[in-house]
Amino acid sequence: MKRLFITLLTCTVALLVGCDKPASTTTQSPDTKSKGTIGVSLLTLDNPFFKVIGDNIAAEGKKRGFEAIVVSGDKDVAKQSNQIKDFIVKKVSAIVLSPCDSKSIIPVIQDANAAGIPVFTVDIPCNESGVKIVTQIATDNYGGGKEGAQAIIEALGEAGGKIAVLHFKQAESCQLRVKGFTEVINAHNASGKAKIDIVTELESGAAKDMGYRAAEDALQAHSDLRGIFAINDPAALGARAALEKAGKTEQVVIIGFDGQPEGKQAIKDGKIYADPIQFPDKMGVQIVDAIIRHSIGETLPPQILIPTSLYRKADAMKDPELK
Amino acid sequence: MKNARFLADYGMILVLVLLCAFFSVVTYSDQSPKGAAAAKQIVAVIGQQFGKTPRMLIAASDQPDDAAFVASIESALTASGAEVVAIVKGEPKDAREALMKINAAGGKLDVIACTQVTGAWLVFSDLKTNFPALGEPRVIMPRSYRWPNFLKSENLLNIANQIAVIAIVAVGMTMVIITGGIDLSVGSLLALSAVLCARFIRDYAGGVNASLGGMLLACIAAIALCGIVGAFSGTMITRFAIPSFIVTLAMMLVGSGLAYILAKGQSIYQIPDSFVWLGRGADMFSMPNAVVLMLVLYALAHVLMARMKLGRYLYAVGGNGEAARLSGVPVKRVLMFAYIASALLAGLGGVIMASQLKSGSATYGNMYELYVIAAVVVGGTSLSGGEGKMLGTLTGAFTIAVIQNGMNLTNVESYTQKVVLGLVILGAVLLDKIRHAR
Repeated sequence: MKRLFITLLTCTVALLVGCDKPASTTTQSPDTKSKGTIGVSLLTLDNPFFKVIGDNIAAEGKKRGFEAIVVSGDKDVAKQSNQIKDFIVKKVSAIVLSPCDSKSIIPVIQDANAAGIPVFTVDIPCNESGVKIVTQIATDNYGGGKEGAQAIIEALGEAGGKIAVLHFKQAESCQLRVKGFTEVINAHNASGKAKIDIVTELESGAAKDMGYRAAEDALQAHSDLRGIFAINDPAALGARAALEKAGKTEQVVIIGFDGQPEGKQAIKDGKIYADPIQFPDKMGVQIVDAIIRHSIGETLPPQILIPTSLYRKADAMKDPELK
Repeated sequence: MKNARFLADYGMILVLVLLCAFFSVVTYSDQSPKGAAAAKQIVAVIGQQFGKTPRMLIAASDQPDDAAFVASIESALTASGAEVVAIVKGEPKDAREALMKINAAGGKLDVIACTQVTGAWLVFSDLKTNFPALGEPRVIMPRSYRWPNFLKSENLLNIANQIAVIAIVAVGMTMVIITGGIDLSVGSLLALSAVLCARFIRDYAGGVNASLGGMLLACIAAIALCGIVGAFSGTMITRFAIPSFIVTLAMMLVGSGLAYILAKGQSIYQIPDSFVWLGRGADMFSMPNAVVLMLVLYALAHVLMARMKLGRYLYAVGGNGEAARLSGVPVKRVLMFAYIASALLAGLGGVIMASQLKSGSATYGNMYELYVIAAVVVGGTSLSGGEGKMLGTLTGAFTIAVIQNGMNLTNVESYTQKVVLGLVILGAVLLDKIRHAR
């Protein structure tokens, strides 16, 4: 029995030693001295968007002499706080986070400020008083909304017609998307071209199931609907399912947002007309760049916006990521 | 055989000690002194290497620790005749401005005195090309010594503080599991309590201007309401003989839903600054208050379980309910006690968490029931009831905390962390089985 117990222990320890390989090499080789460590705690790593941000911070950091620790807050602000406290103990040279809750994360950002560690946010900002954040990097959602409007104008062409917006009002980012979208549509209508009418604005929950229901309701209310702007890909795909069920795939065009792999595939298959896509990879690279620029003493703007770009079927056909 | 028994009884403590030793070895790294101690070192180095009258720049952050550092260097060196050309208190850009000014004026610099943090600023990394007029200043940092990150006192307190909430909730869970039941509702009750407490403070105690009494009442009310939920679960289990798994699963959904309704899906943050005293304050020997509270609760629970009649009843009900009933143990009342205690402690955990994060939100406590159960099981309490120790649970909670903290300190990524944690829990239960097969 005793032998079994000891075997078990050895296994546990061996496992942990195994996991630790990448970390221990850097502490043991002062010759290739790294410029420091970047501690990264993202909202979640289940979503490919954040995974890409994390991977790019790690890759770009490595290229420019930094190590990166990327962990997932799992949408749990208490867990994220603990991760950041551990970063502070470890004396990382910069902390990057997408807050799980911008209010509850304040105390721990203050701890980081007190330890003299610069804090950066990515994707989700933290605009609270009492915290010092060097710069906040996010997608230009307002500009993306404008691009979405251009896409729908392009798709509806001369005819114009009625369109619906599938919203997700809780998220500030989505409010900005719809704001940009509406402004361009209004400007288009004012210019005297064929009128595009936003007849309804429904809650999509930013998810497939609710997007599906919202699109069904919109089709019931407006049988002559011509277009749908959904604030993200899942909502757009839910709307597409509703169109397929109603047999109106030819009549209604969908514009999504994000450019997640599933969304891009749908664009390739002609199910979604186009997406203003976000660039999580660029966000990751920009973060590392911002950390270095801060450290050499440049003044950074409080906010760095990454523009979106319109992704149509032609782009999807050339995309090597889609098979 | 005696040896084997010792291992079986204290195996988990041994595992914990080994884990600590392991993480101490792998987090062995450079540390540096702070404040006045750091300043003393720098003054000594400058005195030796640069004579009495070097021209120097001092770079530090704008934090209190660094203020002492700057002040001590300045006073010591100006007294001995050195010329402090500039003092930077702030960020790299302030340092760049200062350097540019000196560079433009054609001034030379011999030394740049830095803290560990400012010494790593890249602005000082290529002075010769960027600021040629400065000459060849040397960047001096406090000399580092080697010590494990893991074993720094601040990290050990950090671990204790991180696990305090789970450990406190685990006290109640241990009682419930010893009676042969389970309580899945603790995570949701924790969120409910945090939200209730934050709302009471915001809506009835005066928000950010709430008085101490108001806050205390809000906390007590939140915890008491959780206790009522626990009493409800207990009634369902004892009166209607519904399995505890089902009742508490239902209450988990109810509790979480109520928390979201009450919080309207947002976090409630209109709370006075002084509210963080419980979760973040440290009054006794720099021990965080939450940790002190945790230790007190464990001491009380240990006495209850080991020395008091109620404790023996809890074991008896879990060991063999029917036998306990026949020998005159008030089984229903004992079970009620266990579920109410568990709910009250979950409520207390929620209040502590609200205090740590200075806000209440329905997202708190997500999956905590599983961590709490893991802590209890890793601590050697048997899920079939009748057996287990409070101090075992404390060991279990710390084992989980040490693994999580250690992995964060050694750059283990999130996915791997989950795998390791899962295997450790499995290993602990395996250990428990081996003990029973003895």
